[in-house]
Amino acid sequence: MTSLSTNVSAGDMMESPLHHHADHTNASAGGIVMAEDKFRGHLNLRGNPEDNAFTSAVESVLGVALPLKANTSARNGDSVVYWLCPNEWLLIVASGTQGQVEGDLRLAMGDQHIAITDVSSGQTLVNLSGSGLAQLLQKSTVYDCHASNFPAGKVVQTTFAKTGTTMCKLEDGSMDLVIRRSFSDYFFLWLQDASEEYGLRVA
Amino acid sequence: MHHIYCPYCEEAREEEEYSYTGEAHIERPKDPAAITDEAWGDYLFFRSNPRGIHHEMWYHASGCRRYFNVTRNTQSYEIHETYKMGKLPTITAKTIAADTLVAQQGDAS
Repeated sequence: MTSLSTNVSAGDMMESPLHHHADHTNASAGGIVMAEDKFRGHLNLRGNPEDNAFTSAVESVLGVALPLKANTSARNGDSVVYWLCPNEWLLIVASGTQGQVEGDLRLAMGDQHIAITDVSSGQTLVNLSGSGLAQLLQKSTVYDCHASNFPAGKVVQTTFAKTGTTMCKLEDGSMDLVIRRSFSDYFFLWLQDASEEYGLRVA
Repeated sequence: MHHIYCPYCEEAREEEEYSYTGEAHIERPKDPAAITDEAWGDYLFFRSNPRGIHHEMWYHASGCRRYFNVTRNTQSYEIHETYKMGKLPTITAKTIAADTLVAQQGDAS
């Protein structure tokens, strides 16, 4: 019996949380455009922000200072760091590099009292944009997403259709959401329903 | 809906993001084996149930996932202050009673 997996690489076997909706389209207008940023490396980092050795070690590896102010983020090219709570951050790095980043962080931090957890397989990054985005957010989340309250770069952990999400506004006005893999189908069904009048396009 | 200020997120957030987790400032007996069953039972199960000012813990479940303290009026649901874990309240039933007394005396004179 021949093995089916001989000619299949690990990348081909991976299915992103929203893979089954990849070819969904019901609108040419695309008042809402959803794009899943698949297979990014997600690392949860915990440490003492008052310890200079910790913050400088993180900065040396990521090339960007840890955001210490509440609800802020720091970006370095494709990598981004979200503030989650006073001693917890989420690092989102390029696909497949999370192991390397984690190793580098551990090496730089030596025997400090820290925690790094690879949570890549448990969540996914989704970008929402389009002319109907403001209205869609108004009915989906309890948080005030108006530009006056939610400038670019701000990070907010709140509820989106009653499931937990971490939202970050981008410079172009679109919204990055980190959603749970286990809630991704629920998220998509909600999105499909909530964006019906604007037209949903999956990019 | 109610907006509650999270001392860690440094923002007022929707009540939906939080959950109530019981009375605050309950100290665990240092040596549980040395106290009576009654005292241990009181510590474990008995809570105050005041009408008026109550200090309680809330959990920012959908936000920073931190516990913090809230001083709330159980009668009016007014939240007087929220403060971080390990801190003591600046507003208590006593300070409010004192403030009311001062206000009444001010009115009388």
